[in-house]
Amino acid sequence: MTLQELYTRIDGNYDHAVQIMRMEKLISRYVLKFPSSDLNGSLMEAARSMDPTQLFERAHAMKGVCANMGFDKLAEAVGEITEEFRPGNPRKYTDAEIKDKLARINDMYQRTIDGIHAYEQSL
Amino acid sequence: MIKSGQIKRQRQVLVVEDQALNRDILGMILENDYEILNAENGLEALEIIQTHLNTLSIVLLDLMMPVMDGFEVLERMRADERMRRIPIIVLTAEKKAELRALQLGAADFIAKPYDAHEVILARVARIIELSEGRQLIRAAERDSLTGLYNPGFFFEYAEQIYRYHPHWSMDAVVVNIERFHSVNDLNGRLFGDTILRTLGDAIREFLRGTEGIACRRDADRFDLYCLHCEDYHTVLQFFQQKLNELSHRVSVRLRMGVCPAFDGVSLVTLFDRAHTACNLVRGSYKTHLMIYNEDMYKRELYSQRLLNDLRQAVEERQFRVYYQPKYDIQSDPPRLNSAEALVRWVHPELGFISPGDFIPLFERNGLIHVVDNYVWSEAAGQIAAWREKLGMTVPLSVNVSRTEVFDPGLEKGLLKLIEDNGLSTKDFKLEITESAYTDEAEQLVAVIEKLREKGFEIEMDDFGSGYSSLNTISSLPIDVLKMDMKFIQNIEENNRDFRLVELILDIARYLKVPVVAEGAETEHQLSLLRDAGCDYVQGYYFSRPLPAEEFENLIRKEIEMKKERKV
Repeated sequence: MTLQELYTRIDGNYDHAVQIMRMEKLISRYVLKFPSSDLNGSLMEAARSMDPTQLFERAHAMKGVCANMGFDKLAEAVGEITEEFRPGNPRKYTDAEIKDKLARINDMYQRTIDGIHAYEQSL
Repeated sequence: MIKSGQIKRQRQVLVVEDQALNRDILGMILENDYEILNAENGLEALEIIQTHLNTLSIVLLDLMMPVMDGFEVLERMRADERMRRIPIIVLTAEKKAELRALQLGAADFIAKPYDAHEVILARVARIIELSEGRQLIRAAERDSLTGLYNPGFFFEYAEQIYRYHPHWSMDAVVVNIERFHSVNDLNGRLFGDTILRTLGDAIREFLRGTEGIACRRDADRFDLYCLHCEDYHTVLQFFQQKLNELSHRVSVRLRMGVCPAFDGVSLVTLFDRAHTACNLVRGSYKTHLMIYNEDMYKRELYSQRLLNDLRQAVEERQFRVYYQPKYDIQSDPPRLNSAEALVRWVHPELGFISPGDFIPLFERNGLIHVVDNYVWSEAAGQIAAWREKLGMTVPLSVNVSRTEVFDPGLEKGLLKLIEDNGLSTKDFKLEITESAYTDEAEQLVAVIEKLREKGFEIEMDDFGSGYSSLNTISSLPIDVLKMDMKFIQNIEENNRDFRLVELILDIARYLKVPVVAEGAETEHQLSLLRDAGCDYVQGYYFSRPLPAEEFENLIRKEIEMKKERKV
């Protein structure tokens, strides 16, 4: 699997990644590091308590990293949680709807990780 | 030879970001151009900044972080004078946060998700460049000892205030430390520096929150350009108090001159006037503050007029040389011995100008040689003219100012005058005031010795008005003592003054030099002086200073008397 195929598989933005990191081998290095960041684990932990502050901080952190990696779909989904719990913002969704969104984020994240593992094995 | 590349260090960048991947990506973008330091949160960042204060070129700061967020880092850095110089670029995705960060002192921002790496590199490079440029300017614009502006930048900024805020009423203020060099000599340079720093701090405190600016103009002079203040006594007291607190052992006095804004007067002139005002209280024990006023302005205008008109006055022969005779009073009847050439200025518009008004002015401005040369030339020509016309040589004495003595061309110039007019050096006497001998006496004595070797006679003028000690006077090369006229004025009524005159005559006898008493006006004064052994008298008793043509009558009378004596 090529890096570009991986980005297609996980709905990422390969061009954006190239723009920031310039070389494929550098993108590859950081993509392979991504699974060890445990950003999703932290977010899912916050999802269990539904603590708004924790949800905001962890979603914000995950969104930042995903956006820089060019994982646009994931970044967009986590961005919704960030804005939902940003201090001062009015809530738009019910807790049940949020839990549903978080479950989808978890799925997307798992697909991303699976994709990265597949890419790693193809190297 | 040191090549610049060898001394140029790689600039340090601190990346403050809680997410390792984001840190790594930024580090990767910057690592070819910069040395990268990393911090995971604000607290860790501040610790790194503290230990790299002098080497850190920039901080890239995430705003949302655990432990301590980026806003607090911004606030803490802004509050710390040493950290404040390090520029910060914030990393953020939110417009609101950008604005707040910029208000807290951030220099720029990098948007998240990151822009193309070229954009990030360009932003970092630009902010470092701007910051280093600002620091270079700051180093050049500030006096390193006091932190106040250097004079060049001060005048540049003052000029901007002057030009762009003409409705602000600004005062030019000059503050000076009395006898600062002595304070330095007695207490050491370190203490002197402490005084300057303390005064600088006090001035900064006074100006804080106002539109005023200040500089250290030179060693111990400070210039302030500040909004008009009615009570400078309090300001001066405040500065003085700060210096008094430094040491109970050392007394340091300040003086201050102030010039309020005058319409149409340039900034440089305002400071010149403030400086003039400041100098007027130099050495005064009672007054330490002088505000430049209308009278001073008029005096200054008058002085400037005289300075401007000097050259023309010489060209148009507005200066007139008058001659006051000196009589040998030990002869009976007294005999005309010589005369002093004295200058008068008859200005076509200002009328008669007293020498007391223009001589000190020209001395202060280094122009006295113009007048002196004029008088010397006239006097030398007059000796020759009288000799030819009347057959008698009347030696003339001329004044030589202190600055003239140090002119390397003095001897040559005088000898040329003597030669051109066919005179002997004995005919041309040089009067040098006693006060001229006080500073750099050794150098002055060396010049005078050479002049005496050429045959010129040296008369010490105004003896008794200066501060010569008996020890000094005995070693000075002089041929005649001219007693200051204030000793003569009261000798008829005041026995104490007469005793002083006798004392001076005793000193002269000890030195084996004759004495000329100046200012004798009455028969009784003359008789007292003659009986006390005084040799010569110059004063109104014999004659006021006369124009050359009137002086001829005295010469003719003397020639007649000579003839009678022979008969």
